[in-house]
Amino acid sequence: MTAPSIAVRTRDVLLFEWTKFRSVRSTYWTLLIAAVTALGGSVITAIANSNVGGGGLSLDPVASIFLAWLEYPVLALGILGLLTFTAECGSGQIRTTFTAVPQRLAVLAAKAGVAGAVTLIVGELLAFVAFFMTQTILSGGTNAISLSQPGVLRAVLAGGFCLSAVTLLGLGLGAIIRHTAGSVAALPAVIYLPLLFATLPSPWNHRIGRFTPVLAASQLVNPHPSVNFFSPALSFVVLIAWPAVALIVAGLLIKRRDA
Amino acid sequence: MIAVERLVKRFGRLTAVDDLSFMVRPGHVTGFLGPNGAGKTTTMRVILGLDAPSSGSALVGGRRYQGIVRPLREVGSLLDANAMHPGRTGWFHLLSIAHSNGIAKQRVAEVLRLTGLETVARKRVKGYSLGMKQRLGIAGALLGDPPVLIFDEPVNGLDPEGVHWLRELFKALAREGRTVFVSSHLMSEMALTADRLIIIGRGKLLADTTLTELTESSTRKDVLVRSPRADELAGLLIARGAGVARDNDGGLAVTGMDAPAIGDLALEHRIAVHELTPRRASLEEAYMDITRDSVEYRAGLEPGP
Repeated sequence: MTAPSIAVRTRDVLLFEWTKFRSVRSTYWTLLIAAVTALGGSVITAIANSNVGGGGLSLDPVASIFLAWLEYPVLALGILGLLTFTAECGSGQIRTTFTAVPQRLAVLAAKAGVAGAVTLIVGELLAFVAFFMTQTILSGGTNAISLSQPGVLRAVLAGGFCLSAVTLLGLGLGAIIRHTAGSVAALPAVIYLPLLFATLPSPWNHRIGRFTPVLAASQLVNPHPSVNFFSPALSFVVLIAWPAVALIVAGLLIKRRDA
Repeated sequence: MIAVERLVKRFGRLTAVDDLSFMVRPGHVTGFLGPNGAGKTTTMRVILGLDAPSSGSALVGGRRYQGIVRPLREVGSLLDANAMHPGRTGWFHLLSIAHSNGIAKQRVAEVLRLTGLETVARKRVKGYSLGMKQRLGIAGALLGDPPVLIFDEPVNGLDPEGVHWLRELFKALAREGRTVFVSSHLMSEMALTADRLIIIGRGKLLADTTLTELTESSTRKDVLVRSPRADELAGLLIARGAGVARDNDGGLAVTGMDAPAIGDLALEHRIAVHELTPRRASLEEAYMDITRDSVEYRAGLEPGP
């Protein structure tokens, strides 16, 4: 038997992770909760704010109304990400996984690929559905929004992307901590605790704050980003860097540790 | 073929495997024996690339496990029947493993049939008994139809029918020319399954032998003699240079003289003999002799003499 090519081996491990991903209930629970909180959050906020602001337009309808939903599915999808690793550690499945594919980095990469791709698709779907629902509710009012307004399409696309990024951050944390409860506790800390830097005296609140995941995300999803923080393009890099660093650390540890 | 050479595995200050070398050859069921904590599981984990050795090596078919692409086609293993996600069905568990090594889907149905799990394959693993999980683990090991098979305490949790099935399976796999390496802490189990034995204690090799050799190596041989005039007979035996020990119920354990000679001596003195049984230390006892000094966790009370 000749050695299978890299492409064949990549397909093997992706199919492996995909089959595992779609055959446990936690995947469907977390995705369902993400969808319900996302759509529910955006609809409620849209109804509550359909006529707030009046002629002066003191609030940005996209940032304040449409994107309010984003805060809620973040935890559900972050947990989905970490569970793809920690559920295997807790049950011992990880030993079966590493026996089937001893190339551990390939396993981690395939997990990231599967969870990242699924949540990117689901995230974009939710973002656009939430946007059109919000738009329907707001249409005719003072806060009506449309995709053709400057920065709005980028904001909606970024909304879906953020969910995928937080899933990968969760996966990275899970692979580092290897314990479900520990990772679930760490996830909101890693996402929200850096916001404390935004309370530092000026200008440090902005200089450090722009590196935090929440403020980077808010720059990305705001059609009118703040001039105090990074541009949307740089914020995109910051947002990718968080899960990337977590996954790189996990990748360094995964080869060294006994399974 | 499995080749373990000068393998050392330390966990902090504890040395779990200590300069261990042995070979496991194809065509045999090789038993891997040792008391609890002897290092059997650790050795198997190193062979399968789950633990990194502190020094030395463990090769399968001449290669490190981690370097094998699609390893399940080379080595099938079951270390822990609980190493599966409880929320996944047996069928999906096997399907995912099959995908990971490019194994055809119909092979999943085959191993399910082979292990008798067809009827529960669509149920979640959390509803399985330990015996069913053990069968599912064995199904996973057989999935890639590998020439080398490694099992850690595979009979745990199986019912007698399952144990019998497994013994026959191991023998059949060995007859097909495969390398079958099975650990156990029970000599009695290995006596029925294995033809070669690797015995370790405290991480060190104690014996690399065959079942037959182990039986013959046992030095303890005696003859149990019962007689209504035991005291008189004991005196005569001692006078002829035999060793005599009394057991609790009046029997004599005679060493240094074989059964015919004892019988003739008794006849000569018209002493009735009610029992005359040549005894040899059982495999179990031979194993206990070998491992006596390396039992990790001993019960607090030593049995009386």
